[in-house]
Amino acid sequence: MKPAPPAFADPLAQLTEIRAIMERSSRFLSLSGLSGVGAGLVALAGAAAAHLYLQSHYPAGYVGLLDGSRAERLAALPFLLLLASSMAGAAVLVAWYFTRRRMQQQGSTQPLWNSLTRRLLVALALPLGVGGLFCLRLYLGADAGLVVPGLLVFYGLALLNASKYTFTEIRWLGLTQTVLGLVAMLNPAGGLVFFGLGFGLGHIGYGLLMYARYERPGAAAAPAA
Amino acid sequence: MKHLIHTLNKAFDHRVRLGVMAVLMTTETVSFNDLKDILGLTDGNLASHVAALERADYLLVSKQFIGKKPNTTYAATAAGRAAFRAHLATLEQLTADSNGLNG
Repeated sequence: MKPAPPAFADPLAQLTEIRAIMERSSRFLSLSGLSGVGAGLVALAGAAAAHLYLQSHYPAGYVGLLDGSRAERLAALPFLLLLASSMAGAAVLVAWYFTRRRMQQQGSTQPLWNSLTRRLLVALALPLGVGGLFCLRLYLGADAGLVVPGLLVFYGLALLNASKYTFTEIRWLGLTQTVLGLVAMLNPAGGLVFFGLGFGLGHIGYGLLMYARYERPGAAAAPAA
Repeated sequence: MKHLIHTLNKAFDHRVRLGVMAVLMTTETVSFNDLKDILGLTDGNLASHVAALERADYLLVSKQFIGKKPNTTYAATAAGRAAFRAHLATLEQLTADSNGLNG
């Protein structure tokens, strides 16, 4: 807010400013589209790593793991958990880097860890945490084929939940992931492909769209409310 | 139209106070520092306006300590929310009227 206020500015200007403040104080709007692109690349690399690992351990690769015994799935679990947590860690790191850079470009004085980002992360983490546990149980039971569809569905719902606290466009990414998860459910053998489509191409597409819309030099400065 | 302007709440006749109330309408409680950052203000500037709103009973101040650091948080009172909504309605009416005048 700039100093030297006219006591009674144009009421329309006042309303516009109030709306802008309410928008700014309830949504985190510095999430960079490039974080999405980075997360997507991480996901594609992760899917490729999983594919290579499974091909080298099971004659039938991913499908071999799904059809394998519980002991075989347990044997692959440490690798898969390590892979999943490195992917999550790398994606968060990339998101943190580009978002901090964007905040600096916007001249924001707020720390990256503020009440808005906290709220956004809690909205994301709650459904995701529950989904993760649920999928772990599916994996240890006899329904490993539902793990990838489950991850997509829970992640999609987590994004829908988080869309209240950031760009509304993220709702479309959430819906895409959820629908993709439901389609993947009918197609368990194609799990890795759906993983790449959703977590990989979905993020990259969303990230590029958001970058073109708000960040590319000459793009509209403020998001539509 | 003239009398409408006079119904505008005097407690809100500064954009900083409007800004503070706007933030408190969307967030239940907000700390002094967050408020300062969101509105891009200095300590002294914000403090005087917050005090004015507190005198009008439009916001509640609570002071706690996190470790040894004082942490002051603010929340809008029911009266504050109602007054702010009424103020917004008046502003909207004013813009509607002027739109009518301009065609």
